[in-house]
Amino acid sequence: MTRWSAVIVQELLCTVRERLPQLLLAVFVGMIAASAFIGSSARSSVTGVYQEALRQGLTTVANPFDSFSPLYYARNTVIYIVLIGALLAIVIGVRSTLRDRQARTADLILSRDVNLSFYLGSKLAGLALFVLLVLAVSAMINIGCISIVAGHVLSVGDSARIAALYALAGLFMLPFVALGMITGIRSSSATSALLTPIVIWSVVIFILPLLGTAAHPVSLLNPVSAPPASGNGFFAATSSLVDPLSLGEQFKHVAALMLADPQATGTMAGSIMALAVFAVAVCTAVAMTGRKRMRRMLHD
Amino acid sequence: MTATAISTTALTKRYGATQALNELSLSVPAGEIFGLLGHNGAGKTTIVTILTTLMEPSSGTAAISGHDIATAANQVRRTIGYLPENVQFYDNLTLVENLLFFAHLSGVHAPTGRIREVLGFLDFTGHDNQRMGTFSKGMRQRAGIAQAILHQPSVLFLDEPTSGLDPQGVAKLREIIISLNTQLGMTIFMNTHLLAEVTKTCTSIGILSAGTLIYQASMAATLESFPGQESLEDIYLHIEAGQRS
Repeated sequence: MTRWSAVIVQELLCTVRERLPQLLLAVFVGMIAASAFIGSSARSSVTGVYQEALRQGLTTVANPFDSFSPLYYARNTVIYIVLIGALLAIVIGVRSTLRDRQARTADLILSRDVNLSFYLGSKLAGLALFVLLVLAVSAMINIGCISIVAGHVLSVGDSARIAALYALAGLFMLPFVALGMITGIRSSSATSALLTPIVIWSVVIFILPLLGTAAHPVSLLNPVSAPPASGNGFFAATSSLVDPLSLGEQFKHVAALMLADPQATGTMAGSIMALAVFAVAVCTAVAMTGRKRMRRMLHD
Repeated sequence: MTATAISTTALTKRYGATQALNELSLSVPAGEIFGLLGHNGAGKTTIVTILTTLMEPSSGTAAISGHDIATAANQVRRTIGYLPENVQFYDNLTLVENLLFFAHLSGVHAPTGRIREVLGFLDFTGHDNQRMGTFSKGMRQRAGIAQAILHQPSVLFLDEPTSGLDPQGVAKLREIIISLNTQLGMTIFMNTHLLAEVTKTCTSIGILSAGTLIYQASMAATLESFPGQESLEDIYLHIEAGQRS
């Protein structure tokens, strides 16, 4: 085993054995598993109303759900990734670096002939692997549950679209892991290490989209991305500034296109670029951490 | 002529307006068990932190086995082992998982065999697969020594190694420190408050007061030079009082 792989294995073992990540992981995977059944339940309710309206002669149009793709049942997973997945990413990132400061193992590591950028990069790689494993399992669960609800095995094309959604989820979650690592290193207390990235997450998920689109706050919990800003006025000016930083909306936009949502329009390239730039920027910031930072005492 | 394991020249460290180390010059020959004594805040941990390359001095130089801590830091890191005060380890990992991690970081070849060898040397067997969160303070200190010597360093730094240990734990650790020195030939530099332990363990001592080295001699010479004093504690208090007056 090389140094690099030893750090990755250590990171995986520590993360898998910690309580808070275990709890969030259970909630995340549980909600992914439930999402198809929640979608199915919603479809049944609407179909029931449609059948009643049809029976009373109030409508003659075809049931709109009949033409929906099975991918409809994956829509809710998008919002679980934005909410629970990002929080899971933050928690494992914060715990990763905070662990070394709390256990004072930072001194054991830094007194060895170990390059700090290499060490932190390896930790990040370990956490990225953990996230990818979680997402791979989640994707299989999601495909399985949708197949059960749809009553047939999902086609290769639809399965590939769901796999692509989870690959995108990895790109969305990775910067939050790195953000958690940074605050785990830089914060003066364990509490602020956890709260700071959560505040940043709430800004990029909830605050910035409101500044750019005037969307109703509750609509941000909808898996479909917020409507574009009007062509003029305050929101036209702010949207060009804050849209690229509204990572939740960027993720939802690409996810909607991947899931062939009929309401989704536009292309994926710009949004994927925004997510990638954020990921590269935060991961670079992790690698540039100085040795003094790692040794700072915690005040709680 | 005995080689010098640790040397410092006019080593100074300032934290803002506070002078933690004041032009400290020190030389520890190879093969010694050197005990650095001093009151709280004297600068003992600061000097260990600098010598283990964890912190840079404000001025002055230091070298470990001839490697300068500023210009050959990685060489120094390969030469030393370090046990900080109150190290906790990764509680969710077992003893062997923790040691494997540190062995790989130190570039130890055949780490599993080396860990078995070290744990055998420390008489610390039967806990391989126990998670370290369940370890007592004494067990953690022995694990701490194990991680510090995995890569066979020639100089070992121990910061308050007996802090918080019960009498049995202190005696066991003393036995280990002496074995590391006599059987493996390691030079040991330790900070401690337990002067009785220093008398039983160290071959030479230094006394630090307000960042200044006010005394350095072999243990035998120290005990001979102060015939009116009954113990090292009395000698230490006598030297400190002389410095203040």
